[in-house]
Amino acid sequence: MTDKHKGLLIVIEGTDGSGKSTQLELLKKYIQAQSYGVMVSEWKTSRLIANVIDDAKDRNLLNATTYSLLYAADFADRLENQIIPALKSGFIVLLDRYYYTALARDVVRGQDIEWVKNLYDYAPEPDLVFYLDMPVDVLLKRIIGTTGLDFYESGRDVGFSTDFYKSFEIYQKKCLEQYNWMKSEYNFKSIDGTLPIKTIHNIMSDKVQEILDTGILY
Amino acid sequence: MSKLTEKHNYKGTLVCVEGIDGSGKSTQLALLRDWLKSTGQDVIFTEWNSSELISQTTKLAKKKNMLSPRTFSLLHAVDFADRLKQVIDPALKAGFIVLADRYAYTAFARDVARGVDPQWVRNVYNFAIKPDLAIYFDIEAKDAMERICSNRAPKFYEAGMDLKLSNDPYESYMIFQGRVIKEYQKMVDEFGLVKLDAMDSIHSKQVAIREMLKEVLQNKGV
Repeated sequence: MTDKHKGLLIVIEGTDGSGKSTQLELLKKYIQAQSYGVMVSEWKTSRLIANVIDDAKDRNLLNATTYSLLYAADFADRLENQIIPALKSGFIVLLDRYYYTALARDVVRGQDIEWVKNLYDYAPEPDLVFYLDMPVDVLLKRIIGTTGLDFYESGRDVGFSTDFYKSFEIYQKKCLEQYNWMKSEYNFKSIDGTLPIKTIHNIMSDKVQEILDTGILY
Repeated sequence: MSKLTEKHNYKGTLVCVEGIDGSGKSTQLALLRDWLKSTGQDVIFTEWNSSELISQTTKLAKKKNMLSPRTFSLLHAVDFADRLKQVIDPALKAGFIVLADRYAYTAFARDVARGVDPQWVRNVYNFAIKPDLAIYFDIEAKDAMERICSNRAPKFYEAGMDLKLSNDPYESYMIFQGRVIKEYQKMVDEFGLVKLDAMDSIHSKQVAIREMLKEVLQNKGV
């Protein structure tokens, strides 16, 4: 679908704590240095819906269906107001998470995968999807050491366990299972997330450079 | 497979009214509610875009004309899902008569009139429970406009101004609501909506509705 656009759509996927934001920032600088137009858009940041989601989460108002639909609305708003216009005018759009995140999280919450796929079936296929692959034990330590355990990101709303850590472990494992399945299904460029930051960045920038060298954005 | 086409097994009874603004559905539902209450029935009422979770956001976004057809559709789906799980589903389990002013069919009519894919929006709502009775008030766009615009101009989304069909809100309203009505008419067969003529008298419509509801309740053994 992206060949209708003049720009490039590049996605970094991975679970919480896999280092996506760091890599996104580095990649953005790398591309900027070469005088291309770059735009970054992060998951759940639409001006319209993002704070509704935060507020509803704070008050534990969400069930699995409203959770899915709110994220889908956030995505639609960003896609139609930011991402598509930027692609049309020839930008390189770097995305922190794409609809694969919704597929993983919603399916773990018990939604039918076909229903979730339908919600996002209009989204353009990215030119490149990087996936930061992390073993679950490293991931758990990283999240606990940084942001700590969040209610929804521990899947507490699904009721896996009343034990905070146990619930978190089950939830993240289930998300990883979904990502593992998607890796081949959606042609992810999978990168070992435990590698040094610089090494990961070099792998990503080489891959992006390959595309840029084809002169596709000239 | 969509729940919207399968009979539910709840103790309660779900009744919805559909039709464009000005078709008289809210009046009819209010009359029905008062009557059911007076006969001692357990009744709960729920209306479109009224959930605690999202309705204020949607209203604000509408005021600012910020919504694309797809976000418009998804925000209303959030509202519907919230009310379905919080209000409709528990009330049906507890044996209430649930009266819904607009239901998923409103989304199918409006969103498709806005250019959203019919199958896409039907899939989005495939978790909706099939009503025991779904009444559609059929009216022509010009008659509805006469009723609602006697003291005000058509509103932005109501007139489908977001679709840029015409700069004149009245003309835009006629085109847009004409499309909505067409979608409703298609759904009479697709979902078994019961069509009533909105131009009939308040009394004769209420008589017809009570008759239909009595039959539904009898069949359920209520």
